Amino acid sequence: MPKNPSNLKNIDRVIHEPTRLMIMTQLYVIESADFLFLQHQLEMTPGNLSAHLSKLEKVGYVEIVKEFIERKPHTALKLTKKGRSAFKEYQQNLRQVFSDLSK
Amino acid sequence: MTKRTSLREIEKKTYMSYHQDGLLDIFVGIFVLLFGIGILLLTMTDFSTWFLIPAIFPAIMIPIWISAKKRITMPRIGYVNFGVRGANKMMAIFIGLMVAGLGAFMVFGLGASMGEGWALTLRDFFISNSMLIIGIGAAVVSSLFAYTMGLKRLYGYGLLIFVLFFTGYFIAIPFEYFLVTIGFVISINGFVLLMRFIRKYPLLQGDTVNAQESI
Repeated sequence: MPKNPSNLKNIDRVIHEPTRLMIMTQLYVIESADFLFLQHQLEMTPGNLSAHLSKLEKVGYVEIVKEFIERKPHTALKLTKKGRSAFKEYQQNLRQVFSDLSK
Repeated sequence: MTKRTSLREIEKKTYMSYHQDGLLDIFVGIFVLLFGIGILLLTMTDFSTWFLIPAIFPAIMIPIWISAKKRITMPRIGYVNFGVRGANKMMAIFIGLMVAGLGAFMVFGLGASMGEGWALTLRDFFISNSMLIIGIGAAVVSSLFAYTMGLKRLYGYGLLIFVLFFTGYFIAIPFEYFLVTIGFVISINGFVLLMRFIRKYPLLQGDTVNAQESI
């Protein structure tokens, strides 16, 4: 058991879900991407990706911009400032939990 | 440390995915090929304008490359913007190489013009070992880009360039033939990659748009 189990409470459950963690990690290393790129990169079905993106958008971690490029619908996805800092915080908290576990 | 490595790996994988279409190889290969052909024609004819072809190629290449990305790559695997961080990294390599090259050129040039012994010796060394130095330099530059972008095939190109120029150091074959060979190999590999990419990612009709609309 970790010495300070309260660290576990700090883990962001929205990000902690594996699929959403994959999405957040992918968006963290880039500026933005469209739906198709994320779908290929993460090898996810459109429905699954769409559902998780909606949850991330709801909490304000992901910004979904719908636009038309050359008359074709285009969905640009990017992490918001809140999303970036939440991801950093998640990393730190998780590292802290494992650090406490190893003691 | 582990966290940084894994994020770096994801970043590299993203670069790799976006450049798996072979377009970069095709354009770089054609550029090197044109350079070789330009020098070859220059040595065979008196028409010095041949050299303009590779010189203006980058100006023509960039809009064509962007258009090819829009028409071939993006409809198949989508679009990604690497942002300022990615662009900065590439720019840092470019600027670093430019500054190093210009700095070395100025130091040696200035020294040689002043008749400094060490500069003259170095200049003579560079001239007599130019093939080897170009080979090592090109291999280092390719490896640097391979490491930064995560494109492993660039290591292969670096090795190919090094082997060819290393061979050229011992065998008296004109420089331009090496450029033609390298350009040919890189562009052919680019076309093979492009064919594979098109087969692997056929154009989707409707699905993507519907999926995007459902968000």
